[in-house]
Amino acid sequence: MSKDKEILEGLTEKEYEHGFVTDVEQEFIPKGLNEDIIRLISAKKEEPEWMLEFRLEAFRRWQKMTLPTWAHLDIPEIDFQDIIYYAAPKKAEDRPKEIDPELEKTFDKLGIPLHERAALAGVAVDAVFDSVSVTTTFRSALAEKGIIFCSFSEAVREHPDLVRKYLASVVPVGDNFYAALNSAVFSDGSFVYIPKGVRCPMELSSYFRINAAGTGQFERTLIVADEGSFVSYMEGCTAPMRDENQLHAAVVEIIVEKDAEVKYSTVQNWYPGDAEGRGGIFNFVTKRGICKGSGSHLSWTQVETGSAITWKYPSTILKGDNSSSEFYSVAVTNNFQQADTGTKMIHIGRNTRSKIVSKGISAGRSQNSYRGLVKMLPGADNARNFSQCDSLLIGDKCGAHTFPYIENANKSAVVEHEATTSKISEEQLFYCNQRGIGPEEAVGLIVNGYAREVLSKLPMEFAVEAQKLLQVSLEGSVG
Amino acid sequence: MKDLLIHSGEVVHKVFVYGDTLPARIIVERDGRVDVVVLIMPGVSEDLKLDVELVGEGAEANIYGAYVCGADERVKIAVDMHHKVPHCNSRQLFKGVAGGSSRVDFYGKIIVAQDAQRTEAYQENHNILLSDNAKVDTKPQLEIYADDVKCSHGATIGRLNEEEQFYMRSRGITLEDAKVLQMISFIAPVLENIPEADREQLSVQFEDAIRNIVHNS
Repeated sequence: MSKDKEILEGLTEKEYEHGFVTDVEQEFIPKGLNEDIIRLISAKKEEPEWMLEFRLEAFRRWQKMTLPTWAHLDIPEIDFQDIIYYAAPKKAEDRPKEIDPELEKTFDKLGIPLHERAALAGVAVDAVFDSVSVTTTFRSALAEKGIIFCSFSEAVREHPDLVRKYLASVVPVGDNFYAALNSAVFSDGSFVYIPKGVRCPMELSSYFRINAAGTGQFERTLIVADEGSFVSYMEGCTAPMRDENQLHAAVVEIIVEKDAEVKYSTVQNWYPGDAEGRGGIFNFVTKRGICKGSGSHLSWTQVETGSAITWKYPSTILKGDNSSSEFYSVAVTNNFQQADTGTKMIHIGRNTRSKIVSKGISAGRSQNSYRGLVKMLPGADNARNFSQCDSLLIGDKCGAHTFPYIENANKSAVVEHEATTSKISEEQLFYCNQRGIGPEEAVGLIVNGYAREVLSKLPMEFAVEAQKLLQVSLEGSVG
Repeated sequence: MKDLLIHSGEVVHKVFVYGDTLPARIIVERDGRVDVVVLIMPGVSEDLKLDVELVGEGAEANIYGAYVCGADERVKIAVDMHHKVPHCNSRQLFKGVAGGSSRVDFYGKIIVAQDAQRTEAYQENHNILLSDNAKVDTKPQLEIYADDVKCSHGATIGRLNEEEQFYMRSRGITLEDAKVLQMISFIAPVLENIPEADREQLSVQFEDAIRNIVHNS
């Protein structure tokens, strides 16, 4: 019996395995935010004039905006002048040809194949370390097909026409408080362009890591899928354990042209804070895609296990006729984590279709909310939506909430929403225990079964990681 | 507006039609039970707020509502269902039809307090849109702080099923009659909860109202 307990305790103490700090020489800019800082960031990145103008306009708008307070979250006050907006590994002369061995070790520890070892995994990776993109693998193989996959700063330099055409076309600079902040200070991110009729031969992937203390991470992702193309894109994130809160405010924009298809998957595992709720990342992210052409398709899959506070609503604007979109989400909160996450499906075109499957799991003293909007505009003839939101409660100190907003102004459009809240029943646990499956394991088993519908939508490489993550995130939540 | 208090063990059944004023709050004590039916007929614009508090163990509340809008009505319904203690049950069923240039807003929230274990709370809101100028918004919400609960909500906004219409028409029922039948059967689960004495009369009123809307559209 006591041995069992020891094992359990051992498991629960194993908290967050990506919590190490990498010791590389870094350069920072001074704390705080003003026009000079923005000019400095822009200068450091050797950006053209239009990019600087874009940043400054966003900053001016941001100054006039107020923090959104409608979410079911308790956010401590953030001092936006107390953040370092730019941190980068020091530029050695030989970079980017070779990566700093320390950095390589970091990404190794995280299981991210940066070198051509990746050939085995068949994944092209863009790794973002604090503020800058460190390296992008598989560039040449992709370039053969005309696919552009590079860091955002590089895209600004080398493909300015594309960037100018699509940047802020889905998420305008003044869209919301955090999107405006990101537009002003974003430091790097990934840029993807898939040309007409090209099927991207491998999964593209970005890996974000916050390393430096006192910094915030503001990356920007822009994905453009031209007519008839296909791409599957994955995103992962981790951060060291610290007892301060760090801010992560990203913007993701996706443009899907006629008959193109984009599959976007996220495994978000930012440091969630310790068991007492100290530290952790504030994850305030704006993700939005537009199904611009007819027959286009965008699918979002997310597994959210990290972050102290998550505020995130990947959304799709279904503009093209016959376009469709899906949103699959598993959000896990434990200890003192808070999450307010969901999606928006805006139906504009005819015969547009969307499906939402959201699974929330709350444990410990956490609060987990689903918030979603389904909107049928008058022109959305025969549009269709189905939403299913389930919440699972583990323990009597946590909360699970569902806030859907459904608006329909078209008589031929059909919207359905369904939500349930329940807990893991004693019977289920008893059944497992009886067959020699311990309580922790049983919960893991049940939760994985519960989340299966979403996990099965993840690309292979991610599905395994996500399943393990679910187990780790919930360790210590029983008994 | 006064509070409606349901005392321990009391069972109350109430129907509210257009002119009636609803109580600001309905408070249900231990083992009390309240059944409320709210009916909104065409031509009536309503801003309806209902606050139900289950404050004693074993309390039960069933709220039913039906609305039929055919012109330029504005109907707003807001229900807050508070489960404050363990072992309470609640059920809400709201069904309605929106035609013409009417506007329907539904908001319903189930709030389960932290120690309100063994709660069972269900809520449903179903709507049929008859015209392109009509608009329905619905916001069903769950706010749950206890874990041993069974809670669910469902909401739909849709149209009249064309296959059903075809089935009826192929059996000699006119399209107009088919639509009336569809809508009556759609609303019926709410009307069933009207106490027997008034049910017949109110159902006929609804049928006439629906027939009028279909005829004029």
